[in-house]
Amino acid sequence: MASIISAGTTSGTALNMSGDTSGNLAFQTQAGANTITVPNVTGTAMVSGNMPAFSATMSNQLNVSQSTWTKIPFDTKDFDTATCFNTSTYRFTPNVAGYYQVNGFMNFNNNSGNPVQTGFISVYKNGSAWKSVFIGLQYNGSSSSTVTYTGSPTMSSLVYLNGSTDYIELYGNLTSSGQAAFYNGNSFFQAYMVRSA
Amino acid sequence: MTLYEKIKTLHPEITDHDFITVITLQNDSDGKGDYIAKWEHPTLARPTQEQLA
Repeated sequence: MASIISAGTTSGTALNMSGDTSGNLAFQTQAGANTITVPNVTGTAMVSGNMPAFSATMSNQLNVSQSTWTKIPFDTKDFDTATCFNTSTYRFTPNVAGYYQVNGFMNFNNNSGNPVQTGFISVYKNGSAWKSVFIGLQYNGSSSSTVTYTGSPTMSSLVYLNGSTDYIELYGNLTSSGQAAFYNGNSFFQAYMVRSA
Repeated sequence: MTLYEKIKTLHPEITDHDFITVITLQNDSDGKGDYIAKWEHPTLARPTQEQLA
Protein backbone atom coordinates (compact mmCIF):
# COMPACT_ATOMS: atom_id res chain seq x y z
CA MET A 1 0.00 0.00 0.00
CA ALA A 2 1.37 3.38 -0.89
CA SER A 3 2.29 5.98 1.70
CA ILE A 4 1.69 9.69 1.32
CA ILE A 5 3.77 12.41 2.95
CA SER A 6 2.23 15.87 2.82
CA ALA A 7 3.56 19.31 3.63
CA GLY A 8 2.13 21.02 6.64
CA THR A 9 -1.00 22.97 5.88
CA THR A 10 -0.54 25.56 8.59
CA SER A 11 3.18 26.30 8.50
CA GLY A 12 3.12 27.88 5.08
CA THR A 13 6.24 26.03 4.04
CA ALA A 14 6.78 23.40 1.45
CA LEU A 15 7.80 19.87 2.27
CA ASN A 16 11.57 19.89 2.71
CA MET A 17 13.59 16.73 2.14
CA SER A 18 17.34 16.41 2.58
CA GLY A 19 19.74 14.19 0.74
CA ASP A 20 22.62 12.08 2.06
CA THR A 21 26.16 13.36 2.66
CA SER A 22 26.75 13.56 -1.09
CA GLY A 23 23.85 15.94 -1.41
CA ASN A 24 21.90 13.66 -3.68
CA LEU A 25 18.29 12.86 -2.96
CA ALA A 26 16.96 9.54 -4.18
CA PHE A 27 13.48 8.22 -4.72
CA GLN A 28 12.81 4.55 -5.14
CA THR A 29 9.64 3.30 -6.70
CA GLN A 30 10.56 -0.18 -5.49
CA ALA A 31 12.77 -1.10 -2.57
CA GLY A 32 16.33 -0.99 -3.85
CA ALA A 33 15.33 -0.54 -7.47
CA ASN A 34 13.98 1.97 -10.00
CA THR A 35 15.77 4.83 -8.33
CA ILE A 36 15.26 8.42 -9.40
CA THR A 37 18.07 10.65 -8.11
CA VAL A 38 17.82 14.40 -7.76
CA PRO A 39 21.42 15.61 -8.14
CA ASN A 40 23.22 17.93 -5.79
CA VAL A 41 22.87 21.07 -7.86
CA THR A 42 21.75 24.60 -7.33
CA GLY A 43 18.76 25.73 -9.28
CA THR A 44 15.23 24.75 -10.08
CA ALA A 45 14.52 21.16 -10.92
CA MET A 46 12.45 21.10 -14.07
CA VAL A 47 9.80 18.53 -14.72
CA SER A 48 7.88 17.87 -17.85
CA GLY A 49 5.05 20.34 -17.86
CA ASN A 50 6.78 23.50 -16.72
CA MET A 51 9.39 23.84 -19.44
CA PRO A 52 8.09 26.41 -21.95
CA ALA A 53 7.79 25.39 -25.58
CA PHE A 54 6.04 26.90 -28.56
CA SER A 55 5.62 26.50 -32.28
CA ALA A 56 4.29 29.19 -34.63
CA THR A 57 3.69 29.71 -38.33
CA MET A 58 2.83 32.54 -40.73
CA SER A 59 -0.67 32.97 -42.08
CA ASN A 60 0.23 35.34 -44.91
CA GLN A 61 3.02 36.03 -47.35
CA LEU A 62 5.12 39.11 -46.60
CA ASN A 63 6.83 41.06 -49.37
CA VAL A 64 10.17 42.40 -48.17
CA SER A 65 12.84 44.83 -49.31
CA GLN A 66 16.21 43.62 -50.49
CA SER A 67 19.06 43.66 -47.97
CA THR A 68 16.76 44.62 -45.11
CA TRP A 69 16.55 42.65 -41.87
CA THR A 70 12.84 42.00 -41.52
CA LYS A 71 11.09 40.40 -38.59
CA ILE A 72 9.19 37.37 -39.78
CA PRO A 73 5.55 37.73 -38.70
CA PHE A 74 4.65 34.41 -37.12
CA ASP A 75 1.05 35.11 -36.20
CA THR A 76 -0.40 31.64 -35.75
CA LYS A 77 0.39 29.24 -32.93
CA ASP A 78 0.61 25.49 -33.29
CA PHE A 79 1.04 25.30 -29.53
CA ASP A 80 2.35 27.48 -26.72
CA THR A 81 2.62 25.54 -23.47
CA ALA A 82 3.26 28.51 -21.17
CA THR A 83 1.57 31.30 -23.14
CA CYS A 84 4.91 32.99 -23.78
CA PHE A 85 4.68 33.64 -27.53
CA ASN A 86 3.01 36.85 -28.67
CA THR A 87 1.36 36.67 -32.10
CA SER A 88 1.20 40.48 -32.33
CA THR A 89 4.85 41.26 -31.65
CA TYR A 90 6.08 37.82 -32.84
CA ARG A 91 8.18 37.52 -29.70
CA PHE A 92 8.88 34.60 -27.41
CA THR A 93 9.41 35.77 -23.83
CA PRO A 94 9.63 32.67 -21.66
CA ASN A 95 8.74 32.84 -17.98
CA VAL A 96 11.37 30.34 -16.82
CA ALA A 97 15.09 31.17 -16.87
CA GLY A 98 17.21 28.74 -18.79
CA TYR A 99 18.73 27.63 -22.05
CA TYR A 100 16.46 27.32 -25.05
CA GLN A 101 16.83 25.50 -28.33
CA VAL A 102 15.54 27.65 -31.20
CA ASN A 103 14.54 26.34 -34.60
CA GLY A 104 13.37 28.31 -37.61
CA PHE A 105 12.64 27.82 -41.25
CA MET A 106 11.95 30.57 -43.75
CA ASN A 107 10.36 29.75 -47.07
CA PHE A 108 11.57 32.44 -49.41
CA ASN A 109 11.34 32.88 -53.11
CA ASN A 110 12.11 35.50 -55.68
CA ASN A 111 9.23 36.63 -57.81
CA SER A 112 11.53 37.92 -60.51
CA GLY A 113 12.80 34.47 -61.29
CA ASN A 114 16.37 35.16 -60.25
CA PRO A 115 17.84 31.67 -60.25
CA VAL A 116 20.06 32.27 -57.26
CA GLN A 117 18.63 33.51 -53.99
CA THR A 118 20.74 34.36 -51.01
CA GLY A 119 20.17 35.79 -47.60
CA PHE A 120 20.33 35.26 -43.88
CA ILE A 121 18.17 34.05 -41.06
CA SER A 122 18.93 35.39 -37.62
CA VAL A 123 17.69 34.83 -34.10
CA TYR A 124 17.38 38.23 -32.47
CA LYS A 125 17.72 38.41 -28.70
CA ASN A 126 16.40 41.59 -27.09
CA GLY A 127 16.44 43.41 -30.42
CA SER A 128 19.93 42.48 -31.59
CA ALA A 129 21.20 39.64 -33.73
CA TRP A 130 22.23 36.71 -31.58
CA LYS A 131 23.13 34.05 -34.17
CA SER A 132 22.83 34.22 -37.95
CA VAL A 133 23.11 31.68 -40.70
CA PHE A 134 23.70 32.29 -44.39
CA ILE A 135 21.22 30.75 -46.76
CA GLY A 136 21.60 30.13 -50.45
CA LEU A 137 19.10 28.56 -52.78
CA GLN A 138 19.32 27.69 -56.41
CA TYR A 139 16.43 26.42 -58.41
CA ASN A 140 15.91 24.99 -61.84
CA GLY A 141 12.79 25.42 -63.91
CA SER A 142 10.72 28.36 -65.00
CA SER A 143 7.51 27.72 -63.11
CA SER A 144 6.68 26.94 -59.54
CA SER A 145 5.65 23.43 -60.47
CA THR A 146 9.12 22.59 -61.70
CA VAL A 147 11.16 24.37 -59.07
CA THR A 148 13.74 22.24 -57.34
CA TYR A 149 15.71 23.80 -54.55
CA THR A 150 19.15 23.16 -53.25
CA GLY A 151 20.02 24.60 -49.91
CA SER A 152 18.15 24.78 -46.66
CA PRO A 153 16.98 28.08 -45.19
CA THR A 154 16.96 26.79 -41.64
CA MET A 155 18.13 28.20 -38.34
CA SER A 156 19.14 26.30 -35.22
CA SER A 157 20.66 27.88 -32.15
CA LEU A 158 20.90 27.69 -28.39
CA VAL A 159 20.22 30.83 -26.37
CA TYR A 160 20.00 31.76 -22.69
CA LEU A 161 16.89 33.67 -21.63
CA ASN A 162 16.41 35.07 -18.12
CA GLY A 163 12.77 34.09 -17.72
CA SER A 164 11.45 37.62 -17.30
CA THR A 165 12.61 40.30 -19.75
CA ASP A 166 14.65 38.43 -22.35
CA TYR A 167 12.90 37.70 -25.63
CA ILE A 168 13.73 36.29 -29.03
CA GLU A 169 12.45 36.93 -32.54
CA LEU A 170 13.31 35.57 -35.96
CA TYR A 171 14.52 37.92 -38.71
CA GLY A 172 15.24 37.27 -42.35
CA ASN A 173 17.32 39.22 -44.84
CA LEU A 174 17.19 38.51 -48.57
CA THR A 175 20.31 39.83 -50.24
CA SER A 176 19.67 38.73 -53.81
CA SER A 177 18.19 41.23 -56.22
CA GLY A 178 14.61 41.33 -57.39
CA GLN A 179 11.24 41.43 -55.69
CA ALA A 180 11.25 38.96 -52.85
CA ALA A 181 8.98 37.65 -50.14
CA PHE A 182 8.74 35.47 -47.08
CA TYR A 183 6.21 32.78 -47.90
CA ASN A 184 3.91 31.37 -45.27
CA GLY A 185 3.97 27.84 -46.61
CA ASN A 186 6.20 25.69 -44.36
CA SER A 187 7.79 28.63 -42.54
CA PHE A 188 7.96 28.09 -38.80
CA PHE A 189 9.50 29.36 -35.57
CA GLN A 190 9.93 27.11 -32.54
CA ALA A 191 11.75 27.11 -29.22
CA TYR A 192 11.83 24.90 -26.18
CA MET A 193 13.70 24.80 -22.92
CA VAL A 194 16.51 22.30 -22.65
CA ARG A 195 18.08 23.25 -19.31
CA SER A 196 17.18 25.49 -16.41
CA ALA A 197 19.48 28.29 -15.36
CA MET B 1 11.09 52.77 -54.08
CA THR B 2 12.40 50.95 -51.04
CA LEU B 3 14.86 52.40 -48.54
CA TYR B 4 17.55 50.13 -49.96
CA GLU B 5 16.87 51.45 -53.46
CA LYS B 6 16.93 55.07 -52.28
CA ILE B 7 20.31 54.59 -50.61
CA LYS B 8 21.70 52.85 -53.67
CA THR B 9 20.50 55.77 -55.78
CA LEU B 10 22.10 58.31 -53.44
CA HIS B 11 25.33 56.35 -53.13
CA PRO B 12 25.80 53.99 -56.09
CA GLU B 13 29.23 53.07 -54.81
CA ILE B 14 27.76 51.28 -51.80
CA THR B 15 28.02 47.55 -52.29
CA ASP B 16 25.70 44.80 -51.16
CA HIS B 17 28.51 43.64 -48.92
CA ASP B 18 28.33 47.00 -47.16
CA PHE B 19 24.71 46.22 -46.29
CA ILE B 20 25.93 43.12 -44.49
CA THR B 21 28.86 44.65 -42.67
CA VAL B 22 28.64 48.41 -42.03
CA ILE B 23 25.03 49.31 -42.85
CA THR B 24 21.98 47.64 -41.35
CA LEU B 25 18.52 48.26 -42.71
CA GLN B 26 15.72 46.85 -40.62
CA ASN B 27 11.97 46.38 -40.58
CA ASP B 28 10.30 45.24 -37.35
CA SER B 29 7.01 44.29 -39.04
CA ASP B 30 5.21 46.82 -36.87
CA GLY B 31 3.82 48.92 -39.71
CA LYS B 32 6.53 51.59 -39.46
CA GLY B 33 8.46 50.39 -42.47
CA ASP B 34 12.16 50.09 -43.26
CA TYR B 35 14.68 52.18 -41.33
CA ILE B 36 18.43 52.53 -40.88
CA ALA B 37 19.35 50.61 -37.74
CA LYS B 38 23.10 51.01 -38.15
CA TRP B 39 25.30 53.23 -40.32
CA GLU B 40 29.02 52.73 -39.85
CA HIS B 41 30.24 53.34 -43.37
CA PRO B 42 33.85 54.56 -43.14
CA THR B 43 33.58 57.30 -45.81
CA LEU B 44 29.94 58.05 -46.62
CA ALA B 45 27.71 60.06 -44.33
CA ARG B 46 24.37 58.72 -43.20
CA PRO B 47 21.64 60.06 -45.50
CA THR B 48 19.33 62.66 -44.02
CA GLN B 49 15.57 62.29 -43.82
CA GLU B 50 15.30 64.96 -46.50
CA GLN B 51 17.47 62.97 -48.85
CA LEU B 52 15.42 59.86 -48.25
CA ALA B 53 12.03 61.55 -48.53
